[in-house]
Amino acid sequence: MGKTRREFVKLVGGAAVGAGMLLAGRGKAQAQAKPAKGVPSGPVRIGAMPGLSGVIAVPGTAAWRTTQMWAEEVNAAGGILGRKVELSMEEETTAKDCVERFRKLTLETKCDVIVGLMSTGNGLAVGPLAEELGQLWLAWDATTQKGVVETMPRTKFSFRSTDNEAEAIGGAILTAKFFPNIKTVVGINNDYSYGRDCWDAYQAVLKHFNPNVKFVDALWPKLGETDFTSHIAALKKANADLIMTSFWSGDVPILMKQATAAGLFKRSKACFTTGGGAHYTLKKEFTPEGIILGYNSFYFKWTDTWPLLTKFVNAYYAKYKEYPVYETDHAYFVLQAYKEAVEKCYSILGRWPTKEEVGKVLSGIQVPSLSGFRGYREDNLMSCNFFMGLTSHKNPYDFVTINQMEVLTPVQIMKPFAGAKLYDWIKGWKS
Amino acid sequence: MKNRQEIARLKSLKLPLVIVIGLVLLCVPLFAGQFFSYLMLTFFAYAITVIGFNLLFGYAGLLSFGHALFMAVGAYTAAFLTSTFALPYMELILVAAVIVSAILAALIGALCVRYIKIYFAMLTLAFGMLFYTFLLKFYYLTGGDEGMRVLRPYLLGIDFSGTPKMQFLAGTYYIYAFVILAILTFVMWKIVSSPFGLCLKAIRDNPEKAEYLGVSVKKYRWYAFVISAAYAAVGGALLAPAVGQVDPGLTYWTQSGTLVFMSLLGGFDYFFGPLIGGIVYILLQNSVMSLTSYWRFIFGAILVFVVIVAPGGIAGVIGSLVKRRERRD
Amino acid sequence: METILNILFSGVFHASTLFLVAAGLQVVFGVQKVFNLACGTFYGLGAYFGITVVKCLVEHNFPKALFIVPLIAAGLALGLVVGPIIERGLMKFVYDRDETFQLLLTFGLVMMLEDVIKFIWGTSPQSMGGIDMVYGQLNVLGATVPVYNLVVILCSLIIAGLISWLLMNTRFGRIIRATADKREMGEALGINMKVVYLKVFTLGTVLGTLGGALVVPAGAAVSEMGMDLIVLAFAVVVIGGLGSMKGAFVGALIVGVLKSLAISTYPEMEMLTIYIIVIAVLVIKPQGLFGGSRV
Repeated sequence: MGKTRREFVKLVGGAAVGAGMLLAGRGKAQAQAKPAKGVPSGPVRIGAMPGLSGVIAVPGTAAWRTTQMWAEEVNAAGGILGRKVELSMEEETTAKDCVERFRKLTLETKCDVIVGLMSTGNGLAVGPLAEELGQLWLAWDATTQKGVVETMPRTKFSFRSTDNEAEAIGGAILTAKFFPNIKTVVGINNDYSYGRDCWDAYQAVLKHFNPNVKFVDALWPKLGETDFTSHIAALKKANADLIMTSFWSGDVPILMKQATAAGLFKRSKACFTTGGGAHYTLKKEFTPEGIILGYNSFYFKWTDTWPLLTKFVNAYYAKYKEYPVYETDHAYFVLQAYKEAVEKCYSILGRWPTKEEVGKVLSGIQVPSLSGFRGYREDNLMSCNFFMGLTSHKNPYDFVTINQMEVLTPVQIMKPFAGAKLYDWIKGWKS
Repeated sequence: MKNRQEIARLKSLKLPLVIVIGLVLLCVPLFAGQFFSYLMLTFFAYAITVIGFNLLFGYAGLLSFGHALFMAVGAYTAAFLTSTFALPYMELILVAAVIVSAILAALIGALCVRYIKIYFAMLTLAFGMLFYTFLLKFYYLTGGDEGMRVLRPYLLGIDFSGTPKMQFLAGTYYIYAFVILAILTFVMWKIVSSPFGLCLKAIRDNPEKAEYLGVSVKKYRWYAFVISAAYAAVGGALLAPAVGQVDPGLTYWTQSGTLVFMSLLGGFDYFFGPLIGGIVYILLQNSVMSLTSYWRFIFGAILVFVVIVAPGGIAGVIGSLVKRRERRD
Repeated sequence: METILNILFSGVFHASTLFLVAAGLQVVFGVQKVFNLACGTFYGLGAYFGITVVKCLVEHNFPKALFIVPLIAAGLALGLVVGPIIERGLMKFVYDRDETFQLLLTFGLVMMLEDVIKFIWGTSPQSMGGIDMVYGQLNVLGATVPVYNLVVILCSLIIAGLISWLLMNTRFGRIIRATADKREMGEALGINMKVVYLKVFTLGTVLGTLGGALVVPAGAAVSEMGMDLIVLAFAVVVIGGLGSMKGAFVGALIVGVLKSLAISTYPEMEMLTIYIIVIAVLVIKPQGLFGGSRV
């Protein structure tokens, strides 16, 4: 983990610079009341596609709130190159409807960029569509991987999120680190692509570090299940040293509660690779200390030295009485990246850039976001740090937080390039 | 006497009216934007499905709450043929969709048509959900929740991969889908006005009497079930290339509810009712979804309103208005 | 032994809430011949409302150990308010129509109420924290069972008992049984069917909201909980037999325990097993296991 620490220090070091840049940028923007020279006068149209019902409603709502907060803030500061930002929202539902709404935002609303989408199936449908339509699509999640194989290794307009299995890989690394003595593991994951990919990746990585570990059983509740008493009975039967789960939505507190009520954590450790997706619902009363909890790529108090984060979390809490979850930073980053890419293009071209030009600058961009610098790699996949740690009750809230926070860098937990084979990559690791 | 002439005159008006509306629909890409053409394209696919659905619902009086199953069968057929087997011939896809769905419907239908009313609805719902679970579970075959890609098909053996996608959809593919809709509408018109269609109505209104008169009630219901399933599969097969992706959501029970909603909204007592319902539903959904994130509430309210106030649907309302005018004249 | 007990307890716990929702479906179907798709949504409403009430009371220093009392009251009260509004406001207009319309009306209700829940409570999962743990855990032959789960099972049994008493020993119950087949029969006997329908539909609603309120302390309220349950409740009534209260009871036990067993032995088959049994029952004995006996 030595590398992690070093990168972390570098990150925090960059924080001060980033914040400075941001403040300077804001000052300049405020001066521009009218659109800059060579920039069209109408508003910048940004389409957003949050999921607002069912399981994806929890992260979807957070992302949509963030998008609105960002737009307000940018508009108050004069917009993008003096153009106001105008949001058009279309809900993410089924693949068929997403394709229809995406077309509407492109052809009818004439959006300059579309952000959003979370479900992988929808990503697989919209990804090729964005390329066909020549429309910039900056995904929140919704990777375009089929299983762990990327279906669109080279894109011009689709900017995808992190790999689905990144959290599972991180979870396995930390399991090997914090619980080196476990012998048996049982998995409970949702019966769909994300759950299955996570379980496979977790097993592969943990085996790599700890070849003697046995995976005794795997449970597959369907996505959207809301009662786990039967699964708890099966987990008890498995009687493993550690329980691994990649739940990320409203099912996390339910599983946690019912497991604690049945005394499951008296015997077993646990690794909730993505449980931070609903972290504020994990109340201390039913969440034990000392289990691994992953927050994806955004932990609402990862540092005190990054003003962007502090300001955002406070504003978010003041407005919604909740602490933000990971999808907020996906949402914040994609917008900020778009804005800075447009500004960078403008500084070179002296006019408002085309979608293709923005896309070119977005490849490889790094911008200050809520959890530090975050960027797109050359293969147009999001590259960011992941936050994980052991749960703790030592905080002023009524829910758990993590201490011994580990920052997992993209180098550690993401395949080096979009077309890479995941399991070959893992096999190539040094122990 | 005068009244009867009036009705005859109105009936003779109907055909030209249908032709005019059809021509307007065909010409949509000429005057409307690409997106509107795309919406109409999805309407064609749903139109074929609901015409078939209404043979069962409106004419045979059987409410299927799992009909999205057959739409999904058609859509997945298109996905398998274009992606897995690299046989992107649209005609082949349509024929395969009809065959697969007819075989499946023959089996499911044989079980379902033994029941009517709520039992029929529940049994079809159970089969629809069974298929949904199947699509999710057998992911190595169906791609699970991620679904499968549908590649662009050849139309009449011609490869259009040179044309930009939207141009293809709003051009050649649009006309192709329209022609299929026109043919299938005509065929359905022939079916419902044939002795077979009349028998179905007789069965719906009084099954005991029909049986007494020598009509094999179950067999006729079974035929209707298979035909309507084949229509739904064609609809699904046409929809899939337009969307480019199929997923199990296509066969969830609420999707079947949408088909019922369309038929009811338009008026299932009328031949063209479900078509009106389909187009109104699609246009309404398009604007309401953009308007508010509480669009489900509005749609629920519309459904409740139609059920309580206008059970005849839009066609029913128009029909009664026309009748009232006739009486006044 | 421990494993068997664990599977059994979790199955029965699951069955106890399923029974309440299914019983709500049954009583309405038995008398009114309306298959109420919104029963799952009532369950969701009850869960959210229960949380709001209990949280509010606990904040005002209400003793935590007694939370079950206001919880049940909340479930009851909500059903008693929502039931009559929907029955008088919507359902009464479609009784003369074909069953199809009634089914579609409840389908419309599902869509509307789903957004109502979202509007009032948002999309975040809501829970009561660890309040159910005040009752602690019980050790039965090596199996650890949360006492609250036993309380839910007990409540469900009591409600089942109350319903059967209501049906067998009261005038209201006799009317229900007499009119289960034919509405005209009731009217011919000079019974005000309007009032009967109002009462029956309210009873159906209360069972749903009460089920939701009772189960939620052991979990959390999430927006998809109603949709999730409707399919299971549907399976229960098909297996048990439409309209039969005994059927709801046995059907819930079958589905609950079977699900639990499938998860512990062959988890891949969990949902498939249930659908296959549903279809098998519909094919072999379409009236369900207890379809012959009325209500």
